[in-house]
Amino acid sequence: MISTSKLSVILTVLFLFLLPAFILRVSASSEEMATLAITQAEETVASAYEAVLEAEQARANVSELLDQLNVAGGHLAEAHMLFRLGDFDGAVHFAEISSEIGMDVKNEAEELKIEAYGSWITSLWIRIIGSIVGVIAVVFGTLLAWRVFKRRYFRQV
Amino acid sequence: MKLDEFRILFLVAGLVLTLIAASPALSLISLPRSGERFSELWLLGPEHKAENYPFNVRNMKQYRIYVGVGNQLGELAYYAVYVKFRNQTQQLPNSKMSEPSPLPPLYEFRFVLSDGKVWEAPLTFTIEGNFSLVQNISINGIVFPVNRISTWDSDRNGFYYQMFFELWLYNMTSKSFQYHDRFVGLWLNMTGS
Repeated sequence: MISTSKLSVILTVLFLFLLPAFILRVSASSEEMATLAITQAEETVASAYEAVLEAEQARANVSELLDQLNVAGGHLAEAHMLFRLGDFDGAVHFAEISSEIGMDVKNEAEELKIEAYGSWITSLWIRIIGSIVGVIAVVFGTLLAWRVFKRRYFRQV
Repeated sequence: MKLDEFRILFLVAGLVLTLIAASPALSLISLPRSGERFSELWLLGPEHKAENYPFNVRNMKQYRIYVGVGNQLGELAYYAVYVKFRNQTQQLPNSKMSEPSPLPPLYEFRFVLSDGKVWEAPLTFTIEGNFSLVQNISINGIVFPVNRISTWDSDRNGFYYQMFFELWLYNMTSKSFQYHDRFVGLWLNMTGS
């Protein structure tokens, strides 16, 4: 039987022996987590940008979304810088905030795009119908005015 | 006036009125934007003017500049500005090949910018080191270890470093940032540090 003191010595030696490997593994896993979080934030912010661009092209007012998107971009930049400095926990923190904001911006931009597209279609119909009615009225009005004018002209001659 | 002349008058008036009546629909036709599409990148000094840029820099003294970007691309753009630091021998971006500097970025900005708008941000920096070795550079409160060695520049009589800013643009096709072929730099003379 191994005595308690011998067992504790063996366990301590074993622990000290395995500790560097454990620390390296934890560090590697933090780095992997940070890489994953940053990649996800990159994709989210980029897709939010694309959604805002489409909303802007649909003539939606995106000024507030741009402010939010810039906040997300700032956090993403911070995440990148901390990652390069080896602060993986900090990088994960900022990347996650960036992802959250980016996701909100993307959802809002998609809603705004649908709204703006709907009102653009309505305004399109109003303009087209208004123009057609206006052109018909002008053509008939001009012809009528010409006939009245011609009649008066011959009467005077 | 003869009747034919009146007829022409009525025709012209009718045509003008028709165009006015059709203008709401005609306004929907948007012509493609003409002119060159480009982005601008600039640096301003501490008073927000193109003067008094930091040049003779001292150890641990804080300096402030402003970096700005203008979007003339015709649509919303997603930019990144990378701040890099080099000695005289390290590579700048290659303008002929449109390639960025191979040096890793220290600080960075990421932002979106509408067409025709400008973006500006302050940048404060502190250099830690002496004339021949810069150990750290602190940018907007973040300390970056750089360990850049400079040698005596006999042409300009000094020990020089350069902080430079590269403009990158997000490309939706490749889904990544690409160097946008614009950079500006700030020479820093560390001789008197």
